[in-house]
Amino acid sequence: MLRFYIEVARTAFRRQLIYRWANIAGLITNIVFGIIFSYVMIALFQVRSMAGGYDLEDALRYVWLVQSLVMVVLTFGWYELMLTIRSGEVVSDLSKPCDFYWYWFSREIGRSCYYVFYRALPTYLAGMLLFGFGAPLDWRLWLAFMLSLPVGAMIGIAYRFLFNIAAFWILEARALGTLATVIALVFTGNYVPLPFFPGWLHTIADWLPFSGLMNVPAQIFLGKLTGLPMLLEFLRQSLWLVVLTLIVRAVTAQATRRVVAQGG
Amino acid sequence: MQEISSDLRLYRHLIVMQIRGQMQYKLNIVIDILTYFAVTGLEFVTMLLYFVPFPTMLGWRVGEVAMLAAVTSFSFGIAELFGAGIDVFDETIRRGDFDRVLLRPVEALILVASSEFRLRRLGRMTQGILGFALALVLLHGVDWTPLKLIALLIGIVSGSLIFVSILLLGATMCFWTVQTTELTSSLYYGGREMLSYPITIYHQVLQRFLLFVIPLAFGTFLPTCYLLGRPLPLGLPVWVTFLAPAVGLGFASVAVWVWGFGVRRYQSTGS
Repeated sequence: MLRFYIEVARTAFRRQLIYRWANIAGLITNIVFGIIFSYVMIALFQVRSMAGGYDLEDALRYVWLVQSLVMVVLTFGWYELMLTIRSGEVVSDLSKPCDFYWYWFSREIGRSCYYVFYRALPTYLAGMLLFGFGAPLDWRLWLAFMLSLPVGAMIGIAYRFLFNIAAFWILEARALGTLATVIALVFTGNYVPLPFFPGWLHTIADWLPFSGLMNVPAQIFLGKLTGLPMLLEFLRQSLWLVVLTLIVRAVTAQATRRVVAQGG
Repeated sequence: MQEISSDLRLYRHLIVMQIRGQMQYKLNIVIDILTYFAVTGLEFVTMLLYFVPFPTMLGWRVGEVAMLAAVTSFSFGIAELFGAGIDVFDETIRRGDFDRVLLRPVEALILVASSEFRLRRLGRMTQGILGFALALVLLHGVDWTPLKLIALLIGIVSGSLIFVSILLLGATMCFWTVQTTELTSSLYYGGREMLSYPITIYHQVLQRFLLFVIPLAFGTFLPTCYLLGRPLPLGLPVWVTFLAPAVGLGFASVAVWVWGFGVRRYQSTGS
């Protein structure tokens, strides 16, 4: 069965390869936003040289890391599942001889892998060229990052599956999905890095599942999270992944029990 | 002149028709507007978090940046409301629906512009209103003069006009490329993000681009500077602020002219 899921992921990866122009277009957008936020950081760091443990170089790396990773962990406006529920196609996916959630999970894993190579790497490289910052050289840091990022991506999959499945109860759940995505993006530091948050808000953000999406991998990448604190963060991230996956599976079971196939 | 007024009458009629249709689903509209209000409000407040560790952004205090962002988001919100049909024009082309539009005995642009009016997009305008209120609180009020009010109003209207014109230029490109190019959305969404901050933070070339090529700064940055009593960028004299309507109309005329050129060259998608 595992072989089947791997094949699903590979197919999703290959399907993504076809949309070459769409990806280049998205890449341009990521770069434009990277440039804007870089200038914002440069302007802000004129008044003081350190903030929340970041200097300008850290902040620039952070900005471009966010632009690189956002498509890997939480695609904005992902409503594919919702649309199959609305059109009724979901019935065909439900009757496939495999688990409904793991099927979609594998598809999204394949897509995330695609974005690592074709979006994240070029975006970060563009930032390095434009603003002349570097990348970490310590291999242990890279190892920790590569362990933490997949957990973040999997939290992202469970989370977007959750608000998509709302479509079983409300037909037009897109507005809800946008709200859910923006909340997650705010609390994972997509707009403003978590270390810049006021203390109390930072504490709240730390306990939410969203920190694990992008903030934890990013802090590791910047070398701000090492040793025991890193281990604890990684544990918290993994715990949220398990909890979210269990919730999604429970809700999915609840939802699919209600499905009535027209003419089926 | 008579032609323009009859075009406007038709436009109003088409919009009112869509509003009536959407009012049939009142609960949906209310929920959508509230959700978008929450989304945009959250985004706006988050931006202000930059000013927790940093007191100013190149001399701009939090209230001043909030005012700038509010003006920008208001212009953008109006553009979103009225330019939606132009925004999704690539769909119209791909489905071949534009051929049908061309067969009708009225100006194609009117039909395209009025085709996707969505009441729920009103929710996005609320960001401007919320931001404006927040900015006034953070600034402890503004010394209003009639001229400042005029500068603000013409700025917002001109800004929306330029935002819609960007969409129109992008839509025109669809005649050749069929798809909306990312260049458009980079200018449209990127422009909105860029102008939420003082343009003085950007590279000189980018500043000139925003003033003289895609003159969005005339709609948002210059009037805000005037409102706050700040000097204009690049040493421009203060009266330049009041050129906003001329600049907006000029840019829009270019966009409409390019669109007309595209319509004459249109050869259908063949599907």
